[in-house]
Amino acid sequence: MIRQSRKPSLLRNWHGPLTQDLVLHPTAFGRVPSHLKPDAVTRTVCGFCSTGCGLDVHLRNGEALNLSANPDYPVNLGMACPKGWEALTPLRAVDRATTPLLRNDKGILEAVDWDTAMQVFTLRFKAIQDKCGAEAVAWLGTGQICTEELALLGALGKFGMGLVHGDGNTRQCMATAVTAYKESFGFDAPPYTYADFEASDVIILIGSNLCITHPILWQRILRNHQSPEIIVIDPRKTETAMAASRHLALKPKSDLPLLYGLAHLLVANNWFDQDYITRHTTGFDAFRRFVRGFTPDAVAAQTGLTVGELYRFAESIRRGQAVSFWWTMGVNQGHEATRTAQAIINLALMTGNLGRPGTGANSITGQCNAMGSRLFSNTTSLFGGRDFLNAAHREHVARVLALPPERVPAKNSFAYDQMLQAVTDGQIKGLWIIATNTAHSWINNSSFQELRRRLDFLVVQDMFHSADTARFADLVLPAAGWGEKEGTFINSERRIGLVKKVARAPGQALSDFNIFKLAAHYWGCAELFSAWTSPSAVFHILKKLSAGQPCDFTGIRDYQHLEESGGIQWPWPAEPAFPSPDPQSRAPRSALRTQERRLFEDGRFFTPDTKARFIFEQPRSQPEMVDEDYPFTLLTGRGSSAQWHTGTRTEKSDVLRKLHRATVYVEINPQDASRLGIAPETQIAVISRRGRLLARAFLTATIQPGQVFVPMHYAETNRLTLPVFDPYSRQPSYKACAVRVEKTNTSRRNRKGWA
Amino acid sequence: MSRPASPQLDTRTLIDALLQEQRELTAAERFARWPQTEVRPRTSSHRQLVPLSKPNPGEQYAFEVDLDRCSGCKSCVTACHALNGLDEGETWRSTGLLHAQGRHSFQQTVTTACHHCVEPACLEGCPVLAYDKDPLTGIVRHLDDQCIGCQYCIFMCPYEVPQYSSKRGIVRKCDMCQQRLAHEEAPACVQACPSEAIRITVVATHLLRERYRREGEDQALEVRCSQFLPSSPDPAITLPSTRYVSARTLPKPLIAGNGQDIRLQHSHFPLVLMLVLTQFGAGGFAWLPFVPADAGRLLALLAFTATTAGLITSIFHLGRPTKAWRAFLGLRHSWLSREIVVFGCFEALAALVAIGQASSRAWTRWLLWPASVLGLVCVLCSGMAYHVTQRECWRGRLSLGRFFGSTVILGAAGAWTAAAWAGTAAWLFKLVLAMSMLAKLSLELRQLRLCSDDAGLNEELPDSLPARSAYLMRFRLGLLMRVRFACAWVGGMILPPVSLLAGTGAPLLAITALLLCLLGETLERLLFFRTVAVRKMPGMPHP
Repeated sequence: MIRQSRKPSLLRNWHGPLTQDLVLHPTAFGRVPSHLKPDAVTRTVCGFCSTGCGLDVHLRNGEALNLSANPDYPVNLGMACPKGWEALTPLRAVDRATTPLLRNDKGILEAVDWDTAMQVFTLRFKAIQDKCGAEAVAWLGTGQICTEELALLGALGKFGMGLVHGDGNTRQCMATAVTAYKESFGFDAPPYTYADFEASDVIILIGSNLCITHPILWQRILRNHQSPEIIVIDPRKTETAMAASRHLALKPKSDLPLLYGLAHLLVANNWFDQDYITRHTTGFDAFRRFVRGFTPDAVAAQTGLTVGELYRFAESIRRGQAVSFWWTMGVNQGHEATRTAQAIINLALMTGNLGRPGTGANSITGQCNAMGSRLFSNTTSLFGGRDFLNAAHREHVARVLALPPERVPAKNSFAYDQMLQAVTDGQIKGLWIIATNTAHSWINNSSFQELRRRLDFLVVQDMFHSADTARFADLVLPAAGWGEKEGTFINSERRIGLVKKVARAPGQALSDFNIFKLAAHYWGCAELFSAWTSPSAVFHILKKLSAGQPCDFTGIRDYQHLEESGGIQWPWPAEPAFPSPDPQSRAPRSALRTQERRLFEDGRFFTPDTKARFIFEQPRSQPEMVDEDYPFTLLTGRGSSAQWHTGTRTEKSDVLRKLHRATVYVEINPQDASRLGIAPETQIAVISRRGRLLARAFLTATIQPGQVFVPMHYAETNRLTLPVFDPYSRQPSYKACAVRVEKTNTSRRNRKGWA
Repeated sequence: MSRPASPQLDTRTLIDALLQEQRELTAAERFARWPQTEVRPRTSSHRQLVPLSKPNPGEQYAFEVDLDRCSGCKSCVTACHALNGLDEGETWRSTGLLHAQGRHSFQQTVTTACHHCVEPACLEGCPVLAYDKDPLTGIVRHLDDQCIGCQYCIFMCPYEVPQYSSKRGIVRKCDMCQQRLAHEEAPACVQACPSEAIRITVVATHLLRERYRREGEDQALEVRCSQFLPSSPDPAITLPSTRYVSARTLPKPLIAGNGQDIRLQHSHFPLVLMLVLTQFGAGGFAWLPFVPADAGRLLALLAFTATTAGLITSIFHLGRPTKAWRAFLGLRHSWLSREIVVFGCFEALAALVAIGQASSRAWTRWLLWPASVLGLVCVLCSGMAYHVTQRECWRGRLSLGRFFGSTVILGAAGAWTAAAWAGTAAWLFKLVLAMSMLAKLSLELRQLRLCSDDAGLNEELPDSLPARSAYLMRFRLGLLMRVRFACAWVGGMILPPVSLLAGTGAPLLAITALLLCLLGETLERLLFFRTVAVRKMPGMPHP
């Protein structure tokens, strides 16, 4: 071993200003460099995905300096994914919208003050309404802003501005789970708590690359000390499939036959829980008859799996003492997504895997506040998971909000796709897009330019003037981002968590809440919202709206209560007091952890007869099958844990950008590549009937022959996707369409040879 | 568009109030906490991820990465960045991908930081002793205030660990969070890994030596690598202490995510100029004893000017040139240090000779041979500085051969010019110029031939590193390479015989030849840096 002789310090500088920059100082949560030494710390909930991790924001003079993962928060237990660690960085980006921007006569977006912006906002939208009716103006919201903000937007839009049509980007990720739960359980109620990951002995992940999409939830699986069997159902050999005990690489979109085939095997072998079925469900007999046709041979042929694999899968479900089923976008974004999700629910119901630790038919949500949006955006459902078509619900909400009942529309909103269709058809002329990036993320996005032309007035409210959609806007409203405002998010396991204001928004950017207040003022309906003074005031309004609903959280005192408890899962009614926590939970003994609660422990569901429903339907083939001209199935999905959706935020971090590829790439099986003469890392064209993209070829056998995978984060990807929707949830089917792959003229790494 | 009635006063007030409210930060007052004053580990399990005892003699700390637990979340990279307060975009840990070729579907994320090698090449190469291997822990520490920003450690480290910061003018690197470890706190990456895939262990250094350098056994490179990590640099070079463990049998062969993506490297232009100019200088002095006095005066002046210009240029490569005086500290083991010191002596001697020649001092002739030899020693040091980086494309004749080639060529061209100017016989220099250029070009052509003519058309990437380098020269920098050869052909192989045959002593021809040779060698050196293909840790596919 080399022993470096330590020369006198005269010649060797062991200390000095450069060294000092990295000298660590002890703090209560570990050592940090002096330039980052905080004078206080406060916990907030992360604003990327729905895991809802607690982050300690290090403050100096009240302003965020840095952050670290909170060790006590019952969700993440001291961990965070790269996006969480870098959550403050996008706030400092140079392309933040700092002032309202209005498109001038020359077609250029030009800075204006808020007064001008809001006058134009009001004038133009009212003019459209005067000419084409109140319904001709609509909004597209998000699952990325606080519940209080979503609620104010929903109330302002529907009760103040008289709009009927409002939807959100949650349509793109969670609509299927909502519909499936509503129909099967009687309410949109993901039943689980994250501790269930630690208590299962069989964990089934369907259409979920958990390691990459929700790394902190994968951490919870790793904390499961009973060596659970982990079964991953995914066409690709994803990171999660690599880490699992078993991977079933089924054909794309053959999940529904697979799940029915499993039900068939469970029925055929009497591997179901008749007692649970009788006491807590209805419709099993019909379901039992229905799955008769899904014989192992037929299902094996449809899914590309072997009969043996199907048997082993069914046996694992039978053997498991606590089997949990988890699904994400692979299920939700399909042409028969709702029935697929319900097929998962059916498996849990028929095996009695619900309401016990380590069980459940569990949808893992996407966005940080998709769950808040599902309950309180006042779009698809009326406040608190109610129904616009139900007169009693409308009256109740009007009473709680002290509104004239006629202010509550007795009509359902269009879904996202129907709304855009209405734009195409000329029914909707004015659109207000808030915190979502339609021009990038919507399926078949090359249609957006045409949509834009059809609109008389497009308002985009966003943190970044550079966002793809903002560039199309007539008016850009500069919004404060996560960390620059206060409110609550609801995470995947129904935990209401507090989001805090720890940074100053740049320029004149305002919180979405305040922009909505301003809009109400200029619209002339501010008096309707006189009680909606601040996010915390709205939180109390939401409590009242939740009363009597399955999501009742009237027992939560206030923000301080959330702060002290480490977030609180709904329901948390004031009366009767919630039952004591489950003693079997393997959660650590911390007082905070007593809050790991799951639904349906008593087997009573939210349907009128308190029984869960078996819902099923004959599978349909993919709407766009591969053929001679388009012989590949295009799969899309998350590229890396360092990327979030359309990248408006994650692309702003130099560190996150180092962790993924800057430009679009396509994963293709080496067999296909060699057949087509495609060399690694050369540029190829991927072409669908709707568009084409050029991408670098990444050769990997993790993708099956006949399939290609392109991550969703690149704007080109949705040029190809097929605008087909699940008929019940109206969620787009992003996950499969037919494409062909071609070498291009520029395929060669370069064209010029030597000599 | 007509505006509605003039803005009302309350509207203004509301906007102002909202903007005012937006600026108020109250979270600290309402919710801030400072729960405990004593430091505690982020979670209790971290205690199991750091060793309970300090290393014994013959042992050191090491990272251990459990590949089976690493699921690719990359939190380690960001947590290291955040908890160590690194500069924007600066990362000390990186992640890469290993995947199987052919039909086997397999992928594995690999996380990597400094390997705190048993024989750290960064330390070996550092001219100013800015690296220290802690005798107790084995942690390889970088002394930021000692660093002069020469970036030679980046060439030396096979793992691309030191990161240069142009803002600071120094490199920085992972120190295994030694300040945390000293207080039984886990390093940032260890703390932040949700899968607990990274831990700190204690390893016996002799075991690493035995594992990677089996005496008497001629192991294939891939075998040695797979002892460490497939598709990584040869662990025998520095004996990296990190252990990658897996209970699974990894499929073979595994290729890196970026294994099929070769890219041009940094040009290091100050170094390009420095090498070419100093080699011109050294070459000039090498020929000086053979040049008649009249021509010698000019040649010495030319060579001295070139050397001086080269040395000045090299300063532009330093992040902190004012600290460069320390460069003698590493004399015992650093070829860069030796290069700097020897060049310092040479420059002084060259100045003496040039002045002596100019003023026709008799004592000068005693200095001619020493200057000639010392110049060649300088070139040797330059060549060795690249040779010892263990980069296959820079080894042996690929650096030493090129450098001495340039020395002879440029020296001869300079001598010819000086002789032509002074009107003395120059046939020897023309002959040597043509012959040496022929030799050097055939050496370069031989390397280019490693990559087949149709590789660019077939899109086939060659496997070996020198062939990849050739691929880059031919198909990425084809124009540059052609200009380089054109300059060399005309300046080094056409003009000298033309001049010989024509029997003309016109200095114009000589000057043209010299300028073409200088340009040609500069381009050659640019290609030398830009097309160096290196084995590195498995990376992500890029861009």
